[in-house]
Amino acid sequence: QENVDPQKTAFLLRKAWTLYSVTPLYRFHRARLRDYARLLSAFIAAEKQKGLAVEVGVELDIKVAVSSLTDLRGSEQDQAAVLVQLSSRSRASSRNSEDKLVWSGWFCSVYGDDLSENVPEDFTCLPLFLTHGAESYTSMIGSWFQKTFDCCFRRLAISPLNLSWMVAMWAGCKLDRAASAVELVFSVPRLSQPLDISYAIHPEDAKALWDTVQKTPGEITQEEVDVFMDCLYAHFHRHFKIHLSAAKLVKVSTAVASAHCDGIVKILHSQYLPGVLMLLTELAISQIQ
Amino acid sequence: MDETVAEYIRRTVLKIPRDEIKTMLQKWGFLSEAQLQTLNFHQIKDNISQEVVQLCEENCADIKQAAVLDIIYNHIYQNKRMWSVYQMKKSGEELEYFDITDFKKKFKGRLRSALKNVTITFKEYEDNAIWIRVAWGTPYKKPNQYKPSYVVYHSQTPYVFISASVLKSNLPLLCQALIVASNYHDIREMELRSHSLNSLKDIVFKRYSQNFQTYYPKPLQGGNVEPESADIRIVQENRSEKERIHRLNWEVFGGGPQPKLEFAQYKLETMFKSDPKMGVLDKKEPFRCLVKFSSPHLLESLKSLAPAGMADAPLSPLLTCIPHKARNYFKIREKKGLFPESFVSP
Repeated sequence: QENVDPQKTAFLLRKAWTLYSVTPLYRFHRARLRDYARLLSAFIAAEKQKGLAVEVGVELDIKVAVSSLTDLRGSEQDQAAVLVQLSSRSRASSRNSEDKLVWSGWFCSVYGDDLSENVPEDFTCLPLFLTHGAESYTSMIGSWFQKTFDCCFRRLAISPLNLSWMVAMWAGCKLDRAASAVELVFSVPRLSQPLDISYAIHPEDAKALWDTVQKTPGEITQEEVDVFMDCLYAHFHRHFKIHLSAAKLVKVSTAVASAHCDGIVKILHSQYLPGVLMLLTELAISQIQ
Repeated sequence: MDETVAEYIRRTVLKIPRDEIKTMLQKWGFLSEAQLQTLNFHQIKDNISQEVVQLCEENCADIKQAAVLDIIYNHIYQNKRMWSVYQMKKSGEELEYFDITDFKKKFKGRLRSALKNVTITFKEYEDNAIWIRVAWGTPYKKPNQYKPSYVVYHSQTPYVFISASVLKSNLPLLCQALIVASNYHDIREMELRSHSLNSLKDIVFKRYSQNFQTYYPKPLQGGNVEPESADIRIVQENRSEKERIHRLNWEVFGGGPQPKLEFAQYKLETMFKSDPKMGVLDKKEPFRCLVKFSSPHLLESLKSLAPAGMADAPLSPLLTCIPHKARNYFKIREKKGLFPESFVSP
């Protein structure tokens, strides 16, 4: 899994992806990707004619491309990722004008063996779906896939527990360049006036703390994550007398990636892409099961 | 009328909500009541502003008058801007008589001697506030009217509130002109910033309710912690604890409304301390953090933390000192010596 070509995956980085879990696709055939693109294109055109126009004003022709990302997988058991891209070319512009990418979405599975092992043959497991672009396109494409492959999409929320796993893991990552701060954002909504707390730690200090907490290299336990978080909470309490553990952790941000509890993720470093995707695949699978 | 002035007036009027345009033009007083009667305020703003520009053309408006309209807009919508607070220092004890004409003359003189291309406008308000608008140019360019700095000075106090434009390089010159004009000898920026100009004034002029009483009035039927339940099966748990928290909150925050701040920022350079049994980080270096609290009304929000069970009472002095230390930006370092648990904030 380390041989993910950074060039091919560059488009994934530094974009905010909205996450969904997807149940296995019934009778999805990789040989028919071009057909699927055509069918999807026709579907979108029909939806627009029905009056579900996405953009008011200039008429846009939407071109659909569906491709396989063969390197984007974890183990050999994983299905290769499938990328769907919507581009537009304004009818008004000249023939040589370039297509503009208006929406991307990709299905993937990185070490999703838990799911793929237990599924009959006609099913393709790609439990994680990530989108970037207008919500209206997402729902159109989701509808088409649901109708065509009898699958089910659900927004993937990320719990504070999982967010704390992510921040602990990512804070411990070794990075060559100067890293950005390790930031945890908490929200305390039920007060008379809502309060947001941003707690940003110098990346070197956060990593130093994690290095003393993590006992077994290459393995992370819930207990270690808890100790790491308790240390951060205790340091905060010492100064402000506020119990951060009682607040809601809504977003974590590190130089590796950032994640928001509404199920939005941004990956900043290609080196850790497989690791992040593996974690997200796991979350998607637990939501499905 | 200069085209740039016309365009500036047009854009200023466009900023004003439609229902407020007539009132603001009346406050401005540059157009006569008769002229204002001719305006149709029921059309789209684009058209209204065009008509206003035409009337200004008739009256030969120049940039000075346009600037006054801009001050009026920003005085009413002052909370759209971010304000910083500066404190001036006098060398002697003399209480000089404040002469507004002298102030204006010296201020203009100081700025113009350094920068030829600058538009300076003054407006006085009833609460002894002098509003100053400065549009900055360069030796070769006319002043940029779209990025002016605003200064609010209460002449009976050493405080100045500045909403600088993006062009921060003009700040030193602005500060110099202020101390020259007001006969002070030094000025420093306080670590206090907010969108709510009135709240900043409340804090530095000490107009908010501070608790001067050490005596806490006995909790009466009203204003108490939780409403009494009609159902006698429901018992208030920890009643004495809740009352203790309520009393401590009162002692710290007082009974009245808090000044409205939106954020407080703490740069922490203190040591990380933990139970040695945990076997975690034990560095001799500070554990560097940046903590930012934000809320539509920060102090009210902090006040409600302990009653909500989110914080210990009394709340940390780092938070409760905000109004009386008149700052919302802090750098916290470890205090050396006898009391390692306490912090020093420079």
